[in-house]
Amino acid sequence: MIIMATSNFRNDLVKELPTLRRFARGLCGDASLADDLVQDCIERALVKSHLYDPARPLRAWLYAVLRNIYVSNWRRNSKFTGAKHIDDMDGFEGSVPPDQDSNFSVALITDALDTLPAQQREVLVLISLEEMSYAHAAEIIGVPIGTIMSRLSRARAHLQNILEERGTTILRRVK
Amino acid sequence: MTFETIENWALHAFADGELEGEERLAMEKLLVENEEARKALAAINYQKSELRKSFGAVVDEPVPQALLSTAQKFSIRRRWPYAAMAASIALLVLGGTAGWFSALQSVSAQNISLANRATVAHFVYAAEQRHMVEVPASDQDHLQKWLSKRIGTEFQIPNLAAAGFPFLGGRLLAADNSPAGQLMYEAADKRRLTIFVAGNPSGKDEPVQWTWKDKLVTCFWREGKLALAVTGEMSDEEMTALAKSIYDQMDEKS
Repeated sequence: MIIMATSNFRNDLVKELPTLRRFARGLCGDASLADDLVQDCIERALVKSHLYDPARPLRAWLYAVLRNIYVSNWRRNSKFTGAKHIDDMDGFEGSVPPDQDSNFSVALITDALDTLPAQQREVLVLISLEEMSYAHAAEIIGVPIGTIMSRLSRARAHLQNILEERGTTILRRVK
Repeated sequence: MTFETIENWALHAFADGELEGEERLAMEKLLVENEEARKALAAINYQKSELRKSFGAVVDEPVPQALLSTAQKFSIRRRWPYAAMAASIALLVLGGTAGWFSALQSVSAQNISLANRATVAHFVYAAEQRHMVEVPASDQDHLQKWLSKRIGTEFQIPNLAAAGFPFLGGRLLAADNSPAGQLMYEAADKRRLTIFVAGNPSGKDEPVQWTWKDKLVTCFWREGKLALAVTGEMSDEEMTALAKSIYDQMDEKS
């Protein structure tokens, strides 16, 4: 009856770590904050492993655990907002060499992502990056599927506006 | 722009592989006919590919050793400590029932207070026939919100009906310097069980411990933001099963 994570659970957890790290990175942007989140998530998942229903996908369960930690940290501590500190936001154009095309588009999308409200960002990351189904995303976040869909379409519209705006800014600069 | 329209939800769903059958065919048809829809789909797919370009490489990085070690070796503190129970029963037998705490050297002062208050509150209120609770079970949602608010931590009222103890209701009580709550349950044979719920300001976890006074058994622990004590007149086995169920149910929401 003693509740303990089995070695199977630990093995499955280890297999999920790469994607869990990607999800965390997508959520908060910063690599070391993301790994801190994953660290907390692993501990919490092991402690709560008795609540995991093996009939359901482990990945979605882990994402929910990680996302809950993220949300409670972010409520407690503004450094977890995922938005960059104001000091880092000024030189958007200056920090990106205009001739390096691929790096440039990566910075563009991550900067645009940082401007999304947290509620939209998590939905976008779960679906566009992690390729979770709408149903799983709804379960992970704890809202109805309709809410997922409306947040998703708002997130994408917002991102698109920013990409278009900044895209033209850059074009003008390059000319 | 089309991104904001409701029809566009179907476009998102299409892009995310959520459409099937006729809906999917209808969208494919729309895409053939409508340039605006094609552009919107291309924009969605562009965002996706950019996101994957930005973050996709993370999965190919070696997982940091610290994370691997935690996953493989982190010892789980949160487990139902039967070992602690066995130890405290053994101590009790040695110490006799007279000094119910004297034998338990490891119980912290704050936990002695928790167990005392819970036992006394059970003794006082569980004996009531007419005024056993302040807020009855029929008003459970209100009680849950009220006590959560006063105690300062959102908690769920455990459901013990399946274990033979339907919920009667609860009341507000005083802990050491702050509000606490008592939840009361009653079995068909009229035995009552109470849960004493208080905040845990130190935030320090303490494993499940036991104490016995006359016929009453109390089982108590601290975890996270809550200090809990379960009291009733029952065998240790029955208490173990009930306390375990309470422990699991009070945990799930945190």
